[in-house]
Amino acid sequence: MTATMTQLRPDIALRAPAPAARGASAVTYPIIDAIKRGETPEPRVHASVIDETPILHVRDFQLWYGPSKALHGISMPIAKDKVTALIGPSGCGKSTLLRSVNRLNDLIEGVHIAGAIELNGESVYAKGVDVIGLRRRLGMVFQKPNPFPMSIFENVVYSLRISGERNKSVLSAACEKALRQAALWDEVKDRLKSSAMGLSGGQQQRLCIARAIVSEPEVLLLDEPCSALDPIATLRIEELIHEISERYTVLIVTHNMQQAARVSDYTAFMYLGRLVEYGRTADLFQIPQLRETEDYVTGRFG
Amino acid sequence: MTTDANAISSSSASNPSGGRRADSIFRRFNVGDALLGLICRTSAVVIALMLASLVLVLLSSAMPAIREFGLGFLVSREWRVNELERPLRDAAGQIVMQDGEVVTETIKPAFGALPVIYGTAVSSALALLFAVPLSLGAALFLVRVAPTLRIAGPLSFLIEFLAAIPSLAYGIWGLFVLAPFLQTTVGPAFQNTLQNVPGLRWMFFETVTISGKLVERPIPMTGRDMLCGSLVLAIMILPIVTSVSRDVLKAVPRTQIEGTLALGATWWQSCIAMLRYGRAGLFGAVMLGLARAAGETMAITMVIGNNNQINPSPFAPAQTMASLLANEFAEASEGLHRSSLLYVALVLLAMSLVFNIVARRLVIGTTSPAGH
Repeated sequence: MTATMTQLRPDIALRAPAPAARGASAVTYPIIDAIKRGETPEPRVHASVIDETPILHVRDFQLWYGPSKALHGISMPIAKDKVTALIGPSGCGKSTLLRSVNRLNDLIEGVHIAGAIELNGESVYAKGVDVIGLRRRLGMVFQKPNPFPMSIFENVVYSLRISGERNKSVLSAACEKALRQAALWDEVKDRLKSSAMGLSGGQQQRLCIARAIVSEPEVLLLDEPCSALDPIATLRIEELIHEISERYTVLIVTHNMQQAARVSDYTAFMYLGRLVEYGRTADLFQIPQLRETEDYVTGRFG
Repeated sequence: MTTDANAISSSSASNPSGGRRADSIFRRFNVGDALLGLICRTSAVVIALMLASLVLVLLSSAMPAIREFGLGFLVSREWRVNELERPLRDAAGQIVMQDGEVVTETIKPAFGALPVIYGTAVSSALALLFAVPLSLGAALFLVRVAPTLRIAGPLSFLIEFLAAIPSLAYGIWGLFVLAPFLQTTVGPAFQNTLQNVPGLRWMFFETVTISGKLVERPIPMTGRDMLCGSLVLAIMILPIVTSVSRDVLKAVPRTQIEGTLALGATWWQSCIAMLRYGRAGLFGAVMLGLARAAGETMAITMVIGNNNQINPSPFAPAQTMASLLANEFAEASEGLHRSSLLYVALVLLAMSLVFNIVARRLVIGTTSPAGH
């Protein structure tokens, strides 16, 4: 298993934290300190990010939960057909940003926003946007597997059913395709009619991925998809993310830096609702431009 | 913290008499613990004994009727409290005369529970039919709409307040407001529009035997009938069905609702998914409502018309098990009559017990955190 994983991204070898903290007391983080003072320093966005074709573009996006501000002027393009990881300590706003893309934050009382998120150049927060239609163009997988209490088959084709697809052969073809892409077909093909609640946690999460990709979304949003899984199931999901990234744009939130290093092409480091540094994953983990990023990805702070 | 801990340990160490005992691994007898344990155990046993004795008393009092009628009691339509003397008829239906006098035969009192079982089942089912859609709608509103409008609290209170209104008040309202309204407005409106519709004649006409002949006659609209009884029952079970459904829907995990919405479900589709997720618990809520409807006595006795018959029309008076008991128990002097009424009570108790057990299992299975 470990061998497979290292093959995924052979270019990235995680640097172990230096055993002796070099002048531990003397280390200062001017950007982190500025953020803690409530400022929003200019993020360090690498040129490599700007060169890519964006499918999503976050423009000076701000979000408040009632009176408290959770996102401060986030600006970042998300590259098409690539895997982009959002990392940062708990409460840094990475899940909030992810859930802003498909406007799932709309459900929470007291949320209001400023700025824009564009999907293929169209603002998802513009007046008159069909939120239902928008969500059908974006797949999402949550932290905890959330299969619906129905059969495996009905779970996978749920999004097709609710958009009115009735044709049996269309549904079963789509179901098989999605389950194959989610690397679950061989395990469940003989029991498509049995309840999805009987699957293991890892299988349930792959089912949720199949359910999210069955309608071929433009972007797949993954909100810490492995945080409730054991290490082996986690590895399978990571391999799967690597495979489906050939067909889909993936935006993944993770609290696990090794995971970001293993599965993503680009990584954005966030802190307290601000973007700190954003660049190619290999660069961010090996030659970060900021001391803050370097010490975070090597586990010295955060 | 540290100084406190030091203070305690030093004080116990400096207490030579108690220090030794407190460190012993053998447990000491504690009067308070023992007493409380005894009180709790006794209370539990007393309550269990009360239920057991209730069942035993009912069973023993109903024994003469059980022996007399057996399970046939449940399917027999007869309910005749007194002996009946009537002219003897021959095979051709002619009254037999002997020495210029009519020969009479005496028929023993007979008791059968089918009409009241039918009345209970139909009035409860109709009540559910009226109350369940309303309750589910209100529960969905309370869980998904009201919180954003900040009226969930007051509205929940109002709905639960309905449960605190005495049964008698519902009965009086049914008798003086609902029944006259049904008699003068709703009944005639239905009659005018539906009585000529083929296949619906049974709603407004009944066939009775009058001196040996079958006669069809219109059912008199009294307003005190199956429909009125079911409507009053429906209002009475609304609070319990609504509040239990609300709790069941509240327990639907947020990830389930967000999961459907993230896949592009409309508001309506995500509500359906919610109902589907909570279906076992919602079924339990309905069963609790059913148990309450089946056992309701005071209000239903006042409005259902109290006629021990099986008539499919909702505009005909009927009788439920509970209303039969309320009507007749005080005057039941004869042994078999009394015993038969207790047999009915036993059937009612068994039915309610089954409903409650089923409901409880379903609701607990979905609202407790250990459930899923």
